[in-house]
Amino acid sequence: MREEIISTKNEAMAQIMEAASSSELEELRISYLGRSGKLTSQIKRLKKIPGDERKEVGILINDSKSAIESLLAEQKNRIGEAAREWFDPTIPGVRPKRGHLHLITKAIKEISRTFEQIGFVRVRYPEVEWDWFTFEGLNMPKAHPARDEWETFFVDTPPHPKYGQIVLTPHTSSGQIREMKRVRSTSSGFIPIRMVNIAKCYRRQIDASHVPMFHQFEGLVIDKGISVAHLKGTLDYFARNFFGASRKTRLRPFHFQFTEPSFEVDVSCGICFGKGCKVCKGGWLELGGAGMVHPTVLKNGGIDPKEYSGFAFGWGVERTYMMKSGLSIPDIRLLYSSDLKFLRQF
Amino acid sequence: MDIKIPDNWLRDFLKTKATSSEVAKYLSLSGPSVEKVEESVYFIEVTTNRVDVASIMGVAREAAAILPQFGVKARLQPIKLLNLKFSAKVDYLEAEVDHKLCSRFSAVLIKNVQIKQSPDWLKERLAAVGVRPINNVVDISNYVMHELGQPVHTFDYDKILKGKMVLRESRKGERLTTLDGKTHTLPGGDIVIEDGRGRLIDLAGIMGGENSAVDGSTKNILLFVQTYNPVNIRQTSMSLAQRTEAAVLFEKGLDPELVTLGIGRGIEFFVKLTNGRPEGQILDIYPAPYKAKKVEINTDFITARLGTEIPKGKITQILRSLGFETNWKGKTLEILVPSHRAEDISIPEDVVEEIARLYGYHNLPSELMQGALPEPPADAPFGFEEKVKNILKGYGGVEIYTFSLVTPEEAPTGLTLKNPLGKESERLRTSLMPSLLAAARQNLGEKEPFHLFEAANVYIPRSGDLPNEKMMLGGIFANSPFREAKGILEGLLSELNIGWEIVSGDAAHFLPNRHVYIKAKGKILGEFGELSQGYLYYEFDTEALRQAHREIESFKPIPKYPAQIEDMTLTFPERTKIGEVIGFVLAKEKLVSRMELTDIYKDAFGEALSSAYTFRFWYQHPTKTLGNKEAEEIRKRILAGIKEKFGGIAK
Repeated sequence: MREEIISTKNEAMAQIMEAASSSELEELRISYLGRSGKLTSQIKRLKKIPGDERKEVGILINDSKSAIESLLAEQKNRIGEAAREWFDPTIPGVRPKRGHLHLITKAIKEISRTFEQIGFVRVRYPEVEWDWFTFEGLNMPKAHPARDEWETFFVDTPPHPKYGQIVLTPHTSSGQIREMKRVRSTSSGFIPIRMVNIAKCYRRQIDASHVPMFHQFEGLVIDKGISVAHLKGTLDYFARNFFGASRKTRLRPFHFQFTEPSFEVDVSCGICFGKGCKVCKGGWLELGGAGMVHPTVLKNGGIDPKEYSGFAFGWGVERTYMMKSGLSIPDIRLLYSSDLKFLRQF
Repeated sequence: MDIKIPDNWLRDFLKTKATSSEVAKYLSLSGPSVEKVEESVYFIEVTTNRVDVASIMGVAREAAAILPQFGVKARLQPIKLLNLKFSAKVDYLEAEVDHKLCSRFSAVLIKNVQIKQSPDWLKERLAAVGVRPINNVVDISNYVMHELGQPVHTFDYDKILKGKMVLRESRKGERLTTLDGKTHTLPGGDIVIEDGRGRLIDLAGIMGGENSAVDGSTKNILLFVQTYNPVNIRQTSMSLAQRTEAAVLFEKGLDPELVTLGIGRGIEFFVKLTNGRPEGQILDIYPAPYKAKKVEINTDFITARLGTEIPKGKITQILRSLGFETNWKGKTLEILVPSHRAEDISIPEDVVEEIARLYGYHNLPSELMQGALPEPPADAPFGFEEKVKNILKGYGGVEIYTFSLVTPEEAPTGLTLKNPLGKESERLRTSLMPSLLAAARQNLGEKEPFHLFEAANVYIPRSGDLPNEKMMLGGIFANSPFREAKGILEGLLSELNIGWEIVSGDAAHFLPNRHVYIKAKGKILGEFGELSQGYLYYEFDTEALRQAHREIESFKPIPKYPAQIEDMTLTFPERTKIGEVIGFVLAKEKLVSRMELTDIYKDAFGEALSSAYTFRFWYQHPTKTLGNKEAEEIRKRILAGIKEKFGGIAK
């Protein structure tokens, strides 16, 4: 039986080597490996061989079979080269029309995702708001010089007896008291707060780096025992996860009426990593303002400052995203243009 | 406010070996922010609460406290004044002062001044802080103001008639010409000074009057240094748009103790530079001198706010370096606030800031908060909005952001701004349509079809309340066939699992017969149609869409029996609405599970023959396979129905 198998194999191999067309190869495949092919019928006879020998012969047959199969495939490729149907797989595909989400949408998504990972909740508060929520409730009495920082648009309607004029919010901080009131008015009156408020803001200014409408995101955290260390921890978390693992933040003194202490937040430069280069200021880039919520603001939101403390920060979405992506868009107004030549780039 | 501090002037008062870049760096980390140092001048941003820093002396005082925290030796060199004699009454000036407006009023007569050019060193210093030198009298005022942060004014003494001044609140409509030649009609409540003849001679704290100004022939001057009520100053300065350097300082609330230095330094310079002879007695009306303010704080509070414990000794050292007096009682610390910090330091939080910034924010720990997670507001719309945008993007839409401020024509019912940047951005929009039209027009050169969309609030006015901020989803198609645009909206609605219906009806801005409302459960979700400008436009109320949508379609059992599918071409009389035909068949014939328009017949010239349509029908029975005979019965019923209702016949 063994010799028979070997000679079948050798015979098959010789014939395959001489075959000249793929149809000839197919005939050979059938005559050896087909349902009633020579090798196939030898496999069928295996059953009759006694135990010990069966295993050995089985291995031999299998080896022969795979040798024949691979030679068949090899030979088929060799003679087939000339007979292949011509086809150009490099031809460009027919693409579906590509849509584009705006950079600001992408930025808002990434920013809110980053904060959601550490338990922040996204909210949305009025973009056209009472003076009280925008300034007065944030510890900025009427005619306070601190208001100069915000070039505010006023709406031409009669003022509210309690809340004053209607303004276009120049910052998302106007959502702070709204959020405190929301939390206090739920059935449980449950604090903590970890909010991120993202909205349109308006300021009376227009030039290459300012537009009268832009977006801000405001973080607000209130709980028992919230400290500057927690603010630093949150900002560092954001820097690592939004800007990149090696990025850090630092705080510098600043002043806002609605936080005490108040800070300016810098992030380490992603180009020189803190050494100092053309893009940054001594290794740092300015992100925006932050601070510990002023006790007067907590009181105005119905929260006892003796029991709770908190921090807040509010930065520009556009600016923060530009800093992340390294996009150097020379004129911020481009973001608000509808030119497809711009929009299709992203 | 931004100030300029020349390095050499600063070093008159700040004794240190630190380089200017070291000074800049450490100030920024623990005090006022130094934006840059250029040609040995520091450009410093002073926040509104720290008007005490808005001067050479103020910066020197901060730096002398901050530098040692970074291991750099530094010392403040105080100004030594000559022996000054103050008196509440003098013979050369009779003054009546409203103390609500002016908490400290001081003045001194200096005789026989010689008006001439200032020396070069003084001119150079003024030029370095951005002030144009004029003559020694004017220059001294500016010099003292920049050095101390205390505005100083000089009157021509001989123009103060009858040697009398009345400092009072102005009456509405009073007129006054300031020394820049501008005549102001006063709003009332401004601080003014009247002389013995009842003439207004000073718009106090803002600018002197023309009629009392020093000129080339002035002999005797009155050196004038006061502390004014910041609220009045700000109101006047803002309403008259007269934002002088003096006003910007006064409106932030100055330290009345600074007046002593101001008048003393002024006298010193007048003697030195004009050969003037000051009177021995300085008029000083200061009925309520500064009494040190007390603030109490304890170490537990400091530790809780900073997240780390700072040793008591360190706290004491920091506060003393800033001029506070400290007095410990166990864990409690009583602090006496120096006069120049009285406006800014009132509550324990203010003291925490002082300790922390000098301790160094970089030395505080950084850690995420522990504790319970917040409860999110129920029903937040953000995920839904993101989904809608992604769907439209998937269909080739390009998202845009446009300004919410539009022209009065574009929002006839919109809220109007009191102080717009211009007519073209005077109103808050009530629809996205004008903005999207403008956006489409911005791409007139584009010949290919395109689809722009935006999701943004519109602001619908409500009487006596804030406007209703409605998140709208608007989109515009250019160079696009009607069916393709409408197909995208149908695709959107179907991905949102909304069972919608189309109701035709004309609307403003849309061409007649080319507008539909999209409804779900009887509620309007939005509209779609062709605008008179030729674009296809849609706008949805995002909240209505969200209410109508379903996150996931409910499960329907897979039909066990195959459907019979067949195509039929039907011709209709002109002006037949095919959407209605399909709706009719599906509503009437329960065994038709699906009906689609697959083709519209065209004639030999490629023009659509609007009267011939091919439909594909799916006949489906829930419990059995339909036979040919049954299918034929359905077909007959359909054709009979269409013929009766629409006059359509099989081709």
